[in-house]
Amino acid sequence: MDAAEKHGLSLNWTPQDRALRERVRSFLAQHLPADWDAIARHGPGSREQTEFSMRFCPELAQAGLLVPHWPEAYGGVSSSPWEQLILGEEMWAAGEPRGPQYMNVNWIGPTLMRFGSEAQKQMHLPAIAQGKVVWCQGFSEPSAGSDLAALRTQAMADGDRYIVNGSKVWTSYAGLADYCFLLARTGSGKAGISILLVPMDTPGIVVRPIPSLIGMGDIHEVFFQDVVVPQSCQLGEQGQAWSIITYALNNERVGIARYAYSLRVLTQMVEQLQREGRFDDPIVQTRAGQARAACEAARMLVYRVVDLRSRQALPSGEASQARVAVIAADHAVADFATEFLPDTLCGQEFAIHLAHHERAIAAGIASGAAEIQLNLVAHQYLQLPREARL
Amino acid sequence: MNFQAHEDLHQFQSAIDHLAARYRQAWRATGSRFEHAPQLEAQLQEGGFFSALTEATLGPVAAAFMVQTLAQLPVCAEVAASALLGPLACPEDPGAIAVIDGPLQRPARFLPTARTVLHMTPHSVSVASLQSDQVEVIDSLFAYPMGRLRTDATLQWHALAPDTATRLSGLWQVAVAAELVGCLQAALQSVLDHVKQRQQFGRPIGSFQAVQHRLAQASCAIEAAHWLTLKAADSGRAIDAATALGYAQQESGRISYDLHQFMGAMGLTLEHPLHRWTYRIKLLSSELGGGSRQLQQAATLAWPQARAA
Repeated sequence: MDAAEKHGLSLNWTPQDRALRERVRSFLAQHLPADWDAIARHGPGSREQTEFSMRFCPELAQAGLLVPHWPEAYGGVSSSPWEQLILGEEMWAAGEPRGPQYMNVNWIGPTLMRFGSEAQKQMHLPAIAQGKVVWCQGFSEPSAGSDLAALRTQAMADGDRYIVNGSKVWTSYAGLADYCFLLARTGSGKAGISILLVPMDTPGIVVRPIPSLIGMGDIHEVFFQDVVVPQSCQLGEQGQAWSIITYALNNERVGIARYAYSLRVLTQMVEQLQREGRFDDPIVQTRAGQARAACEAARMLVYRVVDLRSRQALPSGEASQARVAVIAADHAVADFATEFLPDTLCGQEFAIHLAHHERAIAAGIASGAAEIQLNLVAHQYLQLPREARL
Repeated sequence: MNFQAHEDLHQFQSAIDHLAARYRQAWRATGSRFEHAPQLEAQLQEGGFFSALTEATLGPVAAAFMVQTLAQLPVCAEVAASALLGPLACPEDPGAIAVIDGPLQRPARFLPTARTVLHMTPHSVSVASLQSDQVEVIDSLFAYPMGRLRTDATLQWHALAPDTATRLSGLWQVAVAAELVGCLQAALQSVLDHVKQRQQFGRPIGSFQAVQHRLAQASCAIEAAHWLTLKAADSGRAIDAATALGYAQQESGRISYDLHQFMGAMGLTLEHPLHRWTYRIKLLSSELGGGSRQLQQAATLAWPQARAA
């Protein structure tokens, strides 16, 4: 009798789950290069890690570890959301060597499967499943960040094509991306936004990197000037973008097991303190325990969302709760570093540790601000009334 | 992984919910800082609920669930120790159980009505039978019946085996965490009900983002504490128990502050039950040395010094 039968509720892994985890660890041990820490130092969104992902992800695909959660028809084996999570935890614990491709496999691919035309599926899904393509997400604009529906980039219909004009900003991976998952305005209001799958080598697209605290080549501005996009590149119906991205982001918010990254970095820091003979201090122990508890809290809330998904329930407020907790874990670990190991933020010795610290400042901003997540928790989970709009 | 209740657990939960419903609807402002419900303890005893811990199809998860659910009531009852400690520490009809953690003369909740007392130190657990004349009833800020052992009380202490003591320490952390989570859940729900109704500036105060964000953060922490507690109950691992209790204790202060802010002056009265949970939360946050102590323990278990060598 296993634990699930005994108590009706089991928060432990099955032997099959543990075997998968070991398989992923073994793969990483064999395939991450000796200089992986130096590459990972630049962070999961960096140009260096994006370039690395283009070598690494095809190997991952060959081993059946890139898109195992996809249906057989698209190169997967329909593995469970729990198996997808295990893969994500191990990748994040290693510093996320999939780089931008976690986004492809977690939500761009599944969104194309659900809403794409047959031609779009045939064109894009094999490349994603083989780890051979980089996508960027053309959402934010200079005047449309948290208020995404305020976006202005125009896609003017012109026969069987669109002419796109406008600009995007804070776009990760754009410097090396093959395609952009672009939100553009084809009418007014939320119902006037459409999705275009745009090749990044289309004439009229200019990408400019933005020097930033999270590394050169991580975020970009993308300008569109009279960019011609065939109507066949439209995903779903015209004006359907809002419902499609709601679906897409519910997948995206489940996919990031970044607490595993935070926990690995915290463990590295504690081991350093132990080597220096400083971990005997009860204050240090307590603060390490606090940071670890924040990571474990995030883990449980992510697991709860995965559990909902495994029963085909659509998480809403729960996914936002999980994101809030993941952000808190990022900051708890980063704050531990500044309190007890500030010297390791100098030099390059603690590579992944530096990358984690740099990313923590972006944790509550990227992929939807933490405050937007709190709004969603308040409305969707606590059923609090909406604030009056001006 | 499976976050859903199995049929046996589901039935157990339904029975507890049914029992709790009578007390949930019975809130009345008594002018008292607490209301003890020994009749609920008797019903649980007669119904055999306290044997859940050692029943093969239920176990610590069901026991923790029972503690959490009944902690949501505005009345208090001695459930935590009877549910999580009793079956292992004193299986022979112990009556209500009080737990003294630390020096023997410390005040402890439920001591005035307890018939068994457990003395817990970091490395041992002892048990003794208790007579009411061996206990001095004391007033306190806390929303529990509080007492301390009389200085002239002579108890026959029986030290439990070290492995039992270790197991009981972890189970007590789970029990306190479950009770704390139940109190936090009920306190949050009472404040949610209030901010949806209470109008200021022409609209419900729950529509203000300043209020929403803090309540949303409270819900995240309480939900995480809930699952950490069930994980600890399920795994039986010392590190999980310390993490669950430490996390809940550390988060409690900020949450309680925010809940009272949003209840306003109504929360200062004895007419609204929020104070009942608040002053249980405060005591539970201090149990076993408080949150810092639990999280220090969790850190030393996670990263034993030997690993660095």
